[in-house]
Amino acid sequence: MKINTLLSKFTFQVFSKGDQQRELTGVVIADLLSFVMGQANPGEVWLTVQNHLNVAAVAVLKEIPMIILPSGRIPSTDLIQRCIAENITLCSSSRTSYDICIMINEVGFDR
Amino acid sequence: MTTNIYEEEFKVEGGDFMNVGTASTTLKSSLEMVGIPSSITRRASIIAYEVEMNLVIHAGGGIIRSLVSTDKLMILAIDEGPGIPDIDLAMQEGYSTASDAIRELGFGAGMGLSNMKRNADVLKINSEMGKGTSVEAIIYFTENTEWRK
Ligand SMILES: Nc1ncnc2c1ncn2[C@@H]1O[C@H](COP(=O)(O)OP(=O)(O)OP(=O)(O)O)[C@@H](O)[C@H]1O
Ligand SMILES: [Mg+2]
Repeated sequence: MKINTLLSKFTFQVFSKGDQQRELTGVVIADLLSFVMGQANPGEVWLTVQNHLNVAAVAVLKEIPMIILPSGRIPSTDLIQRCIAENITLCSSSRTSYDICIMINEVGFDR
Repeated sequence: MTTNIYEEEFKVEGGDFMNVGTASTTLKSSLEMVGIPSSITRRASIIAYEVEMNLVIHAGGGIIRSLVSTDKLMILAIDEGPGIPDIDLAMQEGYSTASDAIRELGFGAGMGLSNMKRNADVLKINSEMGKGTSVEAIIYFTENTEWRK
Protein backbone atom coordinates (compact mmCIF):
# COMPACT_ATOMS: atom_id res chain seq x y z
CA MET A 1 0.00 0.00 0.00
CA LYS A 2 1.27 3.42 -0.91
CA ILE A 3 0.63 6.28 1.50
CA ASN A 4 -1.58 8.09 -1.02
CA THR A 5 -3.79 5.01 -1.44
CA LEU A 6 -4.58 5.07 2.27
CA LEU A 7 -5.12 8.83 2.26
CA SER A 8 -7.42 8.69 -0.76
CA LYS A 9 -9.67 6.04 0.78
CA PHE A 10 -10.12 7.50 4.24
CA THR A 11 -10.30 10.96 5.74
CA PHE A 12 -7.30 12.15 7.71
CA GLN A 13 -6.25 15.64 8.67
CA VAL A 14 -2.91 16.01 6.92
CA PHE A 15 -0.33 18.31 8.55
CA SER A 16 2.68 17.30 6.49
CA LYS A 17 2.29 15.73 3.05
CA GLY A 18 5.58 13.88 2.92
CA ASP A 19 6.44 11.52 0.10
CA GLN A 20 3.12 9.82 -0.53
CA GLN A 21 4.55 7.50 -3.16
CA ARG A 22 6.33 5.63 -0.41
CA GLU A 23 5.26 2.09 0.26
CA LEU A 24 4.01 1.16 3.73
CA THR A 25 5.29 -2.18 4.99
CA GLY A 26 3.44 -2.56 8.30
CA VAL A 27 2.17 -0.82 11.41
CA VAL A 28 3.81 -0.01 14.74
CA ILE A 29 1.66 1.20 17.63
CA ALA A 30 3.57 2.56 20.63
CA ASP A 31 3.99 5.67 22.75
CA LEU A 32 7.31 4.68 24.31
CA LEU A 33 10.04 6.07 22.10
CA SER A 34 12.69 3.50 22.99
CA PHE A 35 10.17 0.75 22.27
CA VAL A 36 9.77 2.13 18.75
CA MET A 37 13.56 2.45 18.42
CA GLY A 38 13.89 -1.22 19.29
CA GLN A 39 10.88 -2.72 17.54
CA ALA A 40 9.83 -0.71 14.47
CA ASN A 41 10.85 -1.77 10.98
CA PRO A 42 11.67 0.58 8.08
CA GLY A 43 8.59 1.61 6.09
CA GLU A 44 6.08 1.11 8.88
CA VAL A 45 3.30 3.59 9.64
CA TRP A 46 3.51 4.68 13.28
CA LEU A 47 0.41 5.28 15.40
CA THR A 48 1.15 7.28 18.54
CA VAL A 49 -0.44 9.78 20.92
CA GLN A 50 2.96 11.49 21.39
CA ASN A 51 2.67 14.80 19.53
CA HIS A 52 6.02 16.47 20.26
CA LEU A 53 9.20 17.06 18.28
CA ASN A 54 11.01 13.91 19.44
CA VAL A 55 8.60 11.79 17.41
CA ALA A 56 10.12 13.16 14.19
CA ALA A 57 13.67 12.27 15.21
CA VAL A 58 12.61 8.70 15.93
CA ALA A 59 10.79 8.50 12.58
CA VAL A 60 13.88 9.75 10.72
CA LEU A 61 16.17 7.29 12.48
CA LYS A 62 13.82 4.34 11.95
CA GLU A 63 12.95 5.28 8.35
CA ILE A 64 9.28 5.59 9.22
CA PRO A 65 7.53 7.40 6.34
CA MET A 66 4.18 8.11 8.01
CA ILE A 67 2.93 9.08 11.48
CA ILE A 68 -0.76 9.04 12.47
CA LEU A 69 -2.01 10.62 15.69
CA PRO A 70 -5.28 8.88 16.68
CA SER A 71 -8.27 9.97 18.79
CA GLY A 72 -8.14 13.61 17.71
CA ARG A 73 -4.61 14.27 18.96
CA ILE A 74 -3.15 17.38 17.33
CA PRO A 75 0.59 17.59 16.55
CA SER A 76 2.69 20.39 18.02
CA THR A 77 3.85 23.10 15.62
CA ASP A 78 7.49 22.04 15.84
CA LEU A 79 6.59 18.43 15.07
CA ILE A 80 4.71 19.58 11.97
CA GLN A 81 7.64 21.72 10.83
CA ARG A 82 10.17 18.96 11.36
CA CYS A 83 8.02 16.41 9.48
CA ILE A 84 7.71 18.82 6.56
CA ALA A 85 11.49 19.34 6.57
CA GLU A 86 12.13 15.59 6.71
CA ASN A 87 9.48 14.71 4.12
CA ILE A 88 7.50 12.55 6.54
CA THR A 89 3.72 12.26 6.17
CA LEU A 90 2.04 13.46 9.39
CA CYS A 91 -1.69 13.25 9.96
CA SER A 92 -4.28 12.91 12.65
CA SER A 93 -7.67 11.26 12.87
CA SER A 94 -10.63 11.55 15.18
CA ARG A 95 -10.86 7.75 15.10
CA THR A 96 -9.20 5.43 17.60
CA SER A 97 -6.03 3.44 16.88
CA TYR A 98 -8.24 0.36 16.60
CA ASP A 99 -10.45 1.96 13.94
CA ILE A 100 -7.41 3.26 12.04
CA CYS A 101 -5.91 -0.24 11.98
CA ILE A 102 -9.15 -1.58 10.54
CA MET A 103 -8.93 1.03 7.77
CA ILE A 104 -5.30 0.12 7.09
CA ASN A 105 -6.25 -3.54 7.00
CA GLU A 106 -9.00 -2.81 4.48
CA VAL A 107 -6.45 -1.30 2.11
CA GLY A 108 -4.00 -4.10 2.87
CA PHE A 109 -0.25 -4.53 2.44
CA ASP A 110 1.47 -5.93 -0.63
CA ARG A 111 2.98 -8.97 1.04
CA MET B 1 45.81 -2.54 8.87
CA THR B 2 42.87 -0.32 9.72
CA THR B 3 42.46 3.13 8.28
CA ASN B 4 40.12 5.80 9.55
CA ILE B 5 37.39 6.60 7.08
CA TYR B 6 35.29 9.04 8.98
CA GLU B 7 35.18 10.87 12.30
CA GLU B 8 32.61 13.19 13.82
CA GLU B 9 32.03 14.75 17.23
CA PHE B 10 28.85 16.23 18.64
CA LYS B 11 28.23 18.25 21.74
CA VAL B 12 24.91 17.40 23.37
CA GLU B 13 23.26 19.85 25.77
CA GLY B 14 21.56 18.57 28.89
CA GLY B 15 17.79 18.90 29.15
CA ASP B 16 17.65 20.33 25.64
CA PHE B 17 14.43 18.75 24.48
CA MET B 18 14.15 21.19 21.58
CA ASN B 19 17.17 19.80 19.79
CA VAL B 20 16.70 16.14 20.53
CA GLY B 21 17.97 13.69 18.03
CA THR B 22 20.20 16.24 16.32
CA ALA B 23 23.42 14.30 16.91
CA SER B 24 21.94 10.94 15.96
CA THR B 25 20.06 12.14 12.88
CA THR B 26 23.14 14.06 11.68
CA LEU B 27 25.28 10.96 12.21
CA LYS B 28 22.79 8.88 10.26
CA SER B 29 22.97 11.16 7.20
CA SER B 30 26.76 11.31 7.45
CA LEU B 31 26.99 7.50 7.49
CA GLU B 32 24.67 7.32 4.50
CA MET B 33 26.83 9.87 2.69
CA VAL B 34 30.03 7.94 3.45
CA GLY B 35 28.34 4.87 1.95
CA ILE B 36 28.02 2.72 5.05
CA PRO B 37 25.58 -0.17 4.38
CA SER B 38 22.06 0.51 5.61
CA SER B 39 22.05 -2.54 7.91
CA ILE B 40 25.00 -1.04 9.80
CA THR B 41 23.64 2.52 9.65
CA ARG B 42 20.36 1.39 11.19
CA ARG B 43 22.10 -0.28 14.12
CA ALA B 44 24.37 2.73 14.61
CA SER B 45 21.37 5.09 14.51
CA ILE B 46 19.65 3.21 17.34
CA ILE B 47 22.80 3.27 19.48
CA ALA B 48 23.45 6.95 18.76
CA TYR B 49 19.86 7.93 19.57
CA GLU B 50 19.84 6.06 22.87
CA VAL B 51 23.18 7.48 24.03
CA GLU B 52 22.11 10.95 22.94
CA MET B 53 18.83 10.75 24.87
CA ASN B 54 20.59 9.45 27.95
CA LEU B 55 23.01 12.37 27.81
CA VAL B 56 20.08 14.80 27.54
CA ILE B 57 17.90 13.19 30.21
CA HIS B 58 20.25 11.64 32.76
CA ALA B 59 23.66 13.28 32.43
CA GLY B 60 23.21 17.01 31.88
CA GLY B 61 24.77 16.70 28.43
CA GLY B 62 28.07 15.41 27.10
CA ILE B 63 29.81 14.55 23.89
CA ILE B 64 29.31 11.83 21.30
CA ARG B 65 32.26 10.83 19.17
CA SER B 66 31.85 8.49 16.24
CA LEU B 67 34.63 6.85 14.36
CA VAL B 68 34.44 4.71 11.25
CA SER B 69 37.44 2.68 10.16
CA THR B 70 37.81 -0.06 7.56
CA ASP B 71 36.78 -2.80 9.96
CA LYS B 72 34.43 -1.19 12.48
CA LEU B 73 32.23 1.66 13.57
CA MET B 74 32.62 3.03 17.07
CA ILE B 75 30.34 5.32 19.04
CA LEU B 76 31.67 6.85 22.22
CA ALA B 77 29.58 8.95 24.62
CA ILE B 78 31.22 10.78 27.49
CA ASP B 79 29.55 12.83 30.19
CA GLU B 80 30.31 14.41 33.53
CA GLY B 81 26.92 13.60 34.99
CA PRO B 82 25.96 11.88 38.25
CA GLY B 83 27.12 8.43 37.17
CA ILE B 84 25.27 5.11 37.30
CA PRO B 85 25.33 3.46 40.76
CA ASP B 86 24.54 -0.08 39.57
CA ILE B 87 25.26 -0.73 35.89
CA ASP B 88 23.83 -4.28 35.91
CA LEU B 89 20.57 -2.93 37.32
CA ALA B 90 20.50 -0.06 34.80
CA MET B 91 20.99 -2.56 31.97
CA GLN B 92 17.83 -4.44 32.93
CA GLU B 93 15.01 -3.77 30.52
CA GLY B 94 12.34 -1.71 32.28
CA TYR B 95 14.65 -0.13 34.85
CA SER B 96 14.52 3.65 34.69
CA THR B 97 15.00 6.60 37.01
CA ALA B 98 13.26 9.02 34.62
CA SER B 99 10.79 11.41 36.22
CA ASP B 100 7.04 11.22 35.60
CA ALA B 101 7.19 14.39 33.50
CA ILE B 102 9.77 12.81 31.21
CA ARG B 103 7.85 9.53 31.05
CA GLU B 104 4.81 11.37 29.81
CA LEU B 105 6.85 12.36 26.76
CA GLY B 106 7.48 8.70 26.00
CA PHE B 107 10.94 8.39 27.54
CA GLY B 108 11.86 6.26 30.50
CA ALA B 109 10.78 2.87 29.24
CA GLY B 110 14.11 1.62 30.53
CA MET B 111 14.88 0.17 27.11
CA GLY B 112 17.69 2.43 25.92
CA LEU B 113 20.64 0.45 27.25
CA SER B 114 19.05 -2.84 26.10
CA ASN B 115 18.59 -1.39 22.63
CA MET B 116 22.28 -0.41 22.60
CA LYS B 117 23.34 -3.86 23.74
CA ARG B 118 21.20 -5.59 21.14
CA ASN B 119 22.61 -3.50 18.32
CA ALA B 120 26.28 -3.33 19.29
CA ASP B 121 28.79 -6.17 18.95
CA VAL B 122 30.60 -4.79 21.98
CA LEU B 123 29.17 -2.45 24.62
CA LYS B 124 31.36 -1.11 27.42
CA ILE B 125 30.02 1.15 30.15
CA ASN B 126 32.22 2.80 32.73
CA SER B 127 30.78 4.98 35.41
CA GLU B 128 32.01 6.69 38.51
CA MET B 129 29.58 8.27 40.96
CA GLY B 130 29.79 12.05 40.88
CA LYS B 131 32.34 11.96 38.04
CA GLY B 132 30.48 10.75 34.98
CA THR B 133 29.81 7.93 32.58
CA SER B 134 31.31 6.70 29.34
CA VAL B 135 29.62 4.37 26.92
CA GLU B 136 31.54 2.74 24.11
CA ALA B 137 29.73 0.77 21.43
CA ILE B 138 31.40 -1.06 18.56
CA ILE B 139 29.86 -2.57 15.45
CA TYR B 140 32.25 -4.76 13.44
CA PHE B 141 32.04 -4.96 9.69
CA THR B 142 32.11 -8.54 8.47
CA GLU B 143 33.13 -10.02 5.13
CA ASN B 144 29.43 -10.03 4.31
CA THR B 145 29.08 -6.31 4.93
CA GLU B 146 28.15 -4.96 1.53
CA TRP B 147 29.54 -1.52 0.89
CA ARG B 148 27.44 0.66 -1.28
CA LYS B 149 30.34 2.14 -3.21
N1 LIG C 1 24.72 8.77 30.99
C1 LIG C 1 24.03 8.42 32.09
N2 LIG C 1 24.27 9.06 33.27
C2 LIG C 1 23.59 8.72 34.41
N3 LIG C 1 22.65 7.75 34.44
C3 LIG C 1 22.38 7.08 33.32
C4 LIG C 1 23.04 7.37 32.09
N4 LIG C 1 22.58 6.54 31.14
C5 LIG C 1 21.66 5.76 31.74
N5 LIG C 1 21.54 6.06 33.06
C6 LIG C 1 20.68 5.39 34.06
O1 LIG C 1 20.33 4.10 33.57
C7 LIG C 1 18.90 3.97 33.51
C8 LIG C 1 18.50 3.10 32.35
O2 LIG C 1 18.85 3.72 31.11
P1 LIG C 1 18.04 3.36 29.79
O3 LIG C 1 18.53 4.18 28.66
O4 LIG C 1 18.06 1.87 29.61
O5 LIG C 1 16.53 3.74 30.16
P2 LIG C 1 15.87 5.19 30.27
O6 LIG C 1 16.76 6.20 29.65
O7 LIG C 1 15.49 5.41 31.69
O8 LIG C 1 14.55 5.01 29.40
P3 LIG C 1 14.48 4.90 27.79
O9 LIG C 1 15.88 4.83 27.28
O10 LIG C 1 13.70 3.66 27.52
O11 LIG C 1 13.76 6.14 27.36
C9 LIG C 1 18.39 5.39 33.43
O12 LIG C 1 17.06 5.52 33.89
C10 LIG C 1 19.39 6.13 34.35
O13 LIG C 1 19.07 5.93 35.70
MG1 LIG D 1 17.56 5.91 27.77
